[in-house]
Amino acid sequence: METPSNPPMGTPEPNQPMSPPPDNNLVWAILCTVLCCMPLGIVSIIKSTQVKELWLKGDTAGAQKAANDAKKWAIWGAVIGPVIYILFLVVYFLIFGLYALGSY
Amino acid sequence: MLLEATKTLKIALIFTVLGGFILIYYFFNPSTNFFLPCPIYYTTGFYCPGCGSQRAIHLLLHGNIIGAFRFNPLMVLTLPLLIYGLGITVANWIFGTSYRFMLFYSKLFIFGYFGIAILYWVLRNLPFYPFNLLSPSG
Repeated sequence: METPSNPPMGTPEPNQPMSPPPDNNLVWAILCTVLCCMPLGIVSIIKSTQVKELWLKGDTAGAQKAANDAKKWAIWGAVIGPVIYILFLVVYFLIFGLYALGSY
Repeated sequence: MLLEATKTLKIALIFTVLGGFILIYYFFNPSTNFFLPCPIYYTTGFYCPGCGSQRAIHLLLHGNIIGAFRFNPLMVLTLPLLIYGLGITVANWIFGTSYRFMLFYSKLFIFGYFGIAILYWVLRNLPFYPFNLLSPSG
């Protein structure tokens, strides 16, 4: 699982960094999915898939940016889910409360 | 010295969060207590891929794997990957290392997993056998 694809012998890759790629933060996207904040999690997943590609091309900055974006979207997904829920709850109780007040 | 102090602080923080999480989900049953129900189920009436996860975690902490599986099989199956992935992330954060879980970089795995999640989302909302087994009440 930890073995990256080894390049064919004799073809040195153009400025290939030997360090591991940036953390693509997929674990947060998965967490987002099993705790139901899907829509923004999907943006995070797309960003995650770009990390390794960009890294293998030698685009270190692009890979790091994709990794950071993946993290950002996963965090937004995780935060916005409960926020929408709480807003919904507040509106719900407000309406329900007013209705209850009105019926007495 | 300062570096050691931050490291200790980080370890303490992780243990507090993890311990709190385990204690809460061990002692309180999400189906009867003050836990937030799933916002998607609450607003739309449809189950999402995460519905049943909290109750499943409660049962898992009590050693009831079959019960947990009935609430949310996808979550139970994902849990080992999540624990491993989060473990690596936390270790990197504490010790400043850069270990990577290479499975998470595989396109096949990523699209396969999220494809399954979306399929699972649809199927668990079908109200007839055998798909109703996937719903959190099954």
